[in-house]
Amino acid sequence: MLRRSAPALLLLLLAGAWLVPQRPGDTTLRLASSDRSHVDQLLSAVGDLPINAMVLVACDADLGTYPEIRAATRALLADLAAHGDRTAMVSYTPEGRAIAAAERDRIARAGGTPPLDLGFVSGSEAGLVRGIASILPAATTGVLADEIRKRGGGIGAFDLVVVISGSDLSARSWVEQVGARLPKLKLAAIAPTFLDPELEPYLGSGQLVALLATLREGVGYAEAIGGDAVAGPASTPAPLPMLVGMLVALAALGEAALRRTGRVRTAAGRRPS
Amino acid sequence: MRRSLVTAAALVSGLLVLLDLLVVNPSLGEAAGALNELLVLLVAAAAVGGGATLVAHHLRALASGGDDPIGSIVLLVGMAAIVVAGLRPGSSGSSDPVVLWLVAALLAPLAASLFALLFLFLLRAVRRGFALRFRETAVMAAAAAMVIVLLLPIGGQAGEWLTATAGWVRAVPLGGVFRGLLIGVGVMVAISAARSLLTLDRDDE
Repeated sequence: MLRRSAPALLLLLLAGAWLVPQRPGDTTLRLASSDRSHVDQLLSAVGDLPINAMVLVACDADLGTYPEIRAATRALLADLAAHGDRTAMVSYTPEGRAIAAAERDRIARAGGTPPLDLGFVSGSEAGLVRGIASILPAATTGVLADEIRKRGGGIGAFDLVVVISGSDLSARSWVEQVGARLPKLKLAAIAPTFLDPELEPYLGSGQLVALLATLREGVGYAEAIGGDAVAGPASTPAPLPMLVGMLVALAALGEAALRRTGRVRTAAGRRPS
Repeated sequence: MRRSLVTAAALVSGLLVLLDLLVVNPSLGEAAGALNELLVLLVAAAAVGGGATLVAHHLRALASGGDDPIGSIVLLVGMAAIVVAGLRPGSSGSSDPVVLWLVAALLAPLAASLFALLFLFLLRAVRRGFALRFRETAVMAAAAAMVIVLLLPIGGQAGEWLTATAGWVRAVPLGGVFRGLLIGVGVMVAISAARSLLTLDRDDE
């Protein structure tokens, strides 16, 4: 009976934990990383940009892992807007395009000016290489579009590229395909944790100027920018339901191991001598 | 003959891209650019071909009374909805409000639900794993439990210690293994590419 109703009980437990509000200033539960080195790198990468800098946000996140980096991505867009940077968004994957369009729509609904839409570019890595020569759709107009054309019309027109990773075409593809051809272009990345071991060496070598690749770093960055007040309501994951889910997982793992160990011992005890 | 043509095309394309990376020459750049344009078209054609094959497969499955007619219908209706919303006259493509609604109200929650279900499926898989292969599953479950403990969202001194340890695990053991794998894969890809360019196969060994 208990086993059958376990998923429903788990859902109820998580919903209950989600509804419990966290007291302001309470640090018993904390998602943001205490190590601020990666957060500071992205803050510097944006803060050190010249006035009226042009920033390209390459949104190629994955719908499944995007909730992990949503807070950091929204905080970045808010930070760029606060600095007065001129931002454009492009995607090389269909899912990334869907997320980029939704983020632009969210900014417009909130009364802000969404980043210039450079749309979806097909061709995966070949499309990325093509973007070095020309990234601007022919029909795109406006001050920023004119400025991009004036600077050559390709990816090299931008002062900084921030890659929102998660799909097959991650910051690694940018370093390999674009970084090798435009070595002076600054590349930064926001990525879910599973990409961290792949991307961390690029940060060490300087091919990425900044990298946020864990939920804790992302939440730390969002908090440094202004939290949900800037990134949007409920952008940052709540720590209590996460803690409850993790403790349930630990308990389930322990129970499964103990049950199996108990069965093996019982079977050994029943064996005829 | 057919194999030689493919190999020759791969050899010429590879050398052209490599030379374009190494030598600054406008003509070479234009030739490499044209080759890249062809590649973009090839990828787009492959994507359209893949979609068409998927539709044909599910139409055939429906016609022959396959195992999962509801699944086939849902897939075909879903594909049709997105295609019609994005390509109907007057639509603004992927920025069209109907496409945005389909993504935000259907696709994103469905993907999130599937990922949330992974939590339950993984726990169930571990339970089964313990029954089938105890030792291997025990090692995997112990590693998973350790990672969960290191990522517990708690504050204070304990939280700082957990964060620092999680960072070390990511940077040293996990990073080392991952980089080793990547280097190994890179070496194998380079060897395979060189063998392909030099038209070597098993008969030459």
